[in-house]
Amino acid sequence: MTTPASHEMPGAMKRLSCPFCGPRELHEFRFHKTLPSADAPASVFQRVYERSAERTLSIEHWQHLGGCRGWLLVRRDPSSGAVLAVRLLDGAAP
Amino acid sequence: MSAPRRRRGTRLGGEPLRFTFDGRPYEGQVGDTAASALLASGVRALGRSMKARRLRGVTTAGPEEPGALLTLGTAPALIPNVSAPQLLLREGMVLRSQNRWPSLRWDLAALLQAGGGLFGAGFYYKTFLWPSWRTYEPLIRRLAGLGAAPRRCDLAPPAVEHAACDVLVAGGGAAGLAAALAAARAGARVIVCEREPQCGGELDFEEARIDGLAARDWLAAALRELAALGATVHTDTPIVGGSDGQLLALSGASAAHAGGVLRPIRPRAFVMAMGSVEHGIAFVANDLPGVMLLGAAERYLARYGACVGRVLVLFGCHDRMYASAARLRAGGMQVRAIVDTRAADHVDADPHIRQARAALAAAGVECLCGHAVRAAVGGRSVRAARIAPLSGSPSAAQSASRSAPSADPQALRTIACDTILVSGGWSPEVHAGLQEGGVRRYAEALGAFVASDQPAWRRAAGAGNGHLALPEVLVDGHAAGANAAGAAGAGGSAGAAPLAHGDGPPRALAFWRSPASAAQEKRQYVDLQTDVTVADLRQALDEGFRDIEHVKRYTTLGMGTEQGRTSTPLGAAVLAELKGEALARTGLSRSRPPYQPVALQALAGWRTGAAFRPARTTPLHDWHAANGGVLDPMGLWMRPRYYRANGANAFAAAVTEAGRVRTSGGVVDASTLGKIEVAGAGAGAFLDHLYLTRASTLAPGRAKYMLAMREDGCALDDGIVLRLDAQRFLVTTSSGHAEHMLAHLELHRATGTGEAALAITDVSDAWAVIGVAGPRSRAALQAVLGGRWQPLLEQLAYMHFADGRWADHDLRVLRAGYSGERAYELHCRPAAAVALWERLLAQGLAPYGIDALDILRVEKGYLGGSEINGQTTPLDLCMEALVQLGNPFVGRELLERPAFHEARRPRLVGLRAADGRARFLAGAQLTTAPPAGATPVLPCGHVTSTAYSPALREWIGLALLARDQARPGAIVYACDPLRGALTPVRVTAPTHFDPAGERIKA
Repeated sequence: MTTPASHEMPGAMKRLSCPFCGPRELHEFRFHKTLPSADAPASVFQRVYERSAERTLSIEHWQHLGGCRGWLLVRRDPSSGAVLAVRLLDGAAP
Repeated sequence: MSAPRRRRGTRLGGEPLRFTFDGRPYEGQVGDTAASALLASGVRALGRSMKARRLRGVTTAGPEEPGALLTLGTAPALIPNVSAPQLLLREGMVLRSQNRWPSLRWDLAALLQAGGGLFGAGFYYKTFLWPSWRTYEPLIRRLAGLGAAPRRCDLAPPAVEHAACDVLVAGGGAAGLAAALAAARAGARVIVCEREPQCGGELDFEEARIDGLAARDWLAAALRELAALGATVHTDTPIVGGSDGQLLALSGASAAHAGGVLRPIRPRAFVMAMGSVEHGIAFVANDLPGVMLLGAAERYLARYGACVGRVLVLFGCHDRMYASAARLRAGGMQVRAIVDTRAADHVDADPHIRQARAALAAAGVECLCGHAVRAAVGGRSVRAARIAPLSGSPSAAQSASRSAPSADPQALRTIACDTILVSGGWSPEVHAGLQEGGVRRYAEALGAFVASDQPAWRRAAGAGNGHLALPEVLVDGHAAGANAAGAAGAGGSAGAAPLAHGDGPPRALAFWRSPASAAQEKRQYVDLQTDVTVADLRQALDEGFRDIEHVKRYTTLGMGTEQGRTSTPLGAAVLAELKGEALARTGLSRSRPPYQPVALQALAGWRTGAAFRPARTTPLHDWHAANGGVLDPMGLWMRPRYYRANGANAFAAAVTEAGRVRTSGGVVDASTLGKIEVAGAGAGAFLDHLYLTRASTLAPGRAKYMLAMREDGCALDDGIVLRLDAQRFLVTTSSGHAEHMLAHLELHRATGTGEAALAITDVSDAWAVIGVAGPRSRAALQAVLGGRWQPLLEQLAYMHFADGRWADHDLRVLRAGYSGERAYELHCRPAAAVALWERLLAQGLAPYGIDALDILRVEKGYLGGSEINGQTTPLDLCMEALVQLGNPFVGRELLERPAFHEARRPRLVGLRAADGRARFLAGAQLTTAPPAGATPVLPCGHVTSTAYSPALREWIGLALLARDQARPGAIVYACDPLRGALTPVRVTAPTHFDPAGERIKA
């Protein structure tokens, strides 16, 4: 049994760095849903229902419920749990 | 039993501690554990095993103890399954053995099983089947498990101390301290967690000198230096588990009668220096009390001065036995024989060992080579050991086969003894290294599994890397600590590794079980806690379970509280032998956290009882409680279901309250509604996008009932939207969806393309809401509010609202309600709520609760959570006209998909009993024909809400029924098999009472 790709530092999954509030424990945030992959899907149906499960990239909506209540766009590597990027959603296009 | 057995001049001392075990008084010393005190008192049997109820004694000196599990205290606040080697003794402790009836000595279940064979591998798949397993369930529940569950828990919850550090070292032995020193000298912040009450580990038995100091002195100096460097050393603190980079340690876990401290630790680097666990050798009746692990016996002697027996026989396969024998003799015990499975010429090849053997032989110890203990003899405890020579070379001894039992009956010898100390070798403790990636790899040289493939921040040290001899252990620990400090970013120098001159690792030749015949294999135990024998492993193989994980689950090998620490290495080796493959291929089964049993209380902490979830109360809560309101949690809210004065029970009270609203009037506490203010230039367009109908067309002072929509075309929630002014709206939501709607609005603001900024403010807690409903509502309100409100109220039309003041507080009066009567919603400040409520009551309006609220809304066919259940669309809910208004809401496109227009789609209908009298309940399934016999019938819908209507004096309901069946007047059947009812019902329009809606607008 091989190990999945390991992340650099321990606890990469246990913390999320809110752009507004700084690094916080994961339980302050609530996961909402995974977004479709970056290439623009054709129809509303595909945008609402279809997802492809990529091994290395997941783009997700999270809300910082325990803090600023801001909505975040999070790019995550689901196989290792590492958070690659976090951006505050502020009315610009996702 | 016999006189106490203590070595003179032990480490312990001080006051004797009195305690009882199974009702008899015993004495121990300060610092004793329950196991050491009982061993020193000569008690051999401490409990009975899980399945076969065989007597069990103490076999180990740590959390890997399989048999000596005791119950502490007396009912109702007892603590079961306390590991005796870990329980620190206190004055007045009450200890009892477990899993036996009527007594430890005479157990009925064990008598019934004398003869064995009832509980073989996988017995639960094959037994207790006829007539049905439920017949046996009560008996099994009583027999299963070990201790009895307590009725009450008096343990104080632990304190919680979070910590973060650069390097966390698990284990305070030689490797762990070397690692901690290296890391601390390099400038890292270090925490060391040692599970025993004092650090040292194997250093207790170490005779070599480290950096010129005796082992004990080096230990003390190391601890002093760590303290000076600012490192923290926690003793009595095992690391019980962890995930996602955070390790969980529990201090005081061994106390079992105090809360302790729960320590979530987040390290940047983690060093696992947890040493190794000894395992035994399987021979016939190796589960008898009196068979112990050699290392455990040494520990009891060295730490507690407790002699585990009087006449010992040692049985093992490595060099350390001889030094152990000398130490045990020095402690006052007589060693009758040392049985070494290796051939004599192999053993004597080392001059030190040859000398040791000669010295022991001169002292009267019989040193046998090439022999094995075939059986332990005794009824309740060991009386003798039966020993026979092993045929063939040492390697052949490993593959003892079924067809070659004892070669020569005359060669079988019986040596009288009362204790057999077994040592089959050591398995590195790498439990923590199996989480978050990390596996075990077989190390050929060691004959055991070591840690491998760890993530970058975690590393093993010492035994975990396969080192057993002190010099290498220290060097390896030092290197691990230095690496960990570097990984954590500490840049200093780690200094030189501690230097010890010692021998290499003890030579060992793996030996797992003595030869035995087929019948004897049934009594060769591999797992002492779950009673798994070699015969069980063989049976599992015969039945097709070959992978060790399958064998583990089928036989329950290693599934006890010790999670396979002593049993899995032995079990895996025997399995490999039976399968005829290499142990490297067989592998070990995975052990699970927690590392040792942890009370749920310790993990739950203070978050129990009332503190488990917050309770939300409305501003009128105290009034409800003081005036007969029966409060129930609904979600997090405490709401009054009904008021006691109104009826003998919930049903009668709710019907009375609802009836009274229609005849005269009533008030209800609706403060739990969600209220959200949306403000900004684009607020109207924003809401238009999220709701079925438009909010932007509302004039200020007007309100509208609106349905919130989801992107897939389904209805999300309903509520009333008020336009406060040109750029401000107040959105109300149902109580259950308040949080969700707020997050929903915030998400759409964040992802929308609105050019102007929008302010979304949750004002749910800023307003109390009192619903006033009924024919007398207006008059009562005018009398209470007085002043300018009176003419205002006279003219306030349905779905209009007015803002103003009352008694120095803001007040908003909205003409709307959930009851279908002339009704008003008063939004007032929480501080004024009780006064307003009481004034309204003084006008002759009576309070009504949530049950009555539900009756009133079902009579009117208004939607609730069962109708807006997340799967229904506006088309299902009879709102086609609103859809056709053309508002381009989110989800409009997906609402138009063909699947939502099929004939099988549900439609909201009303229901009444066909006979005008019968009762039917929500949740009943609707079918077109009554189910007959055993033929399943597909339901075409279900009943969503029901109520007994005081206005119509019969049971009414709302249902979602397939569109092609939803014809008014049709008869369908409400099938409720769980409650044993089958009721013919008639389909009607959803609005049962006042369909024209005259009373609302009156």
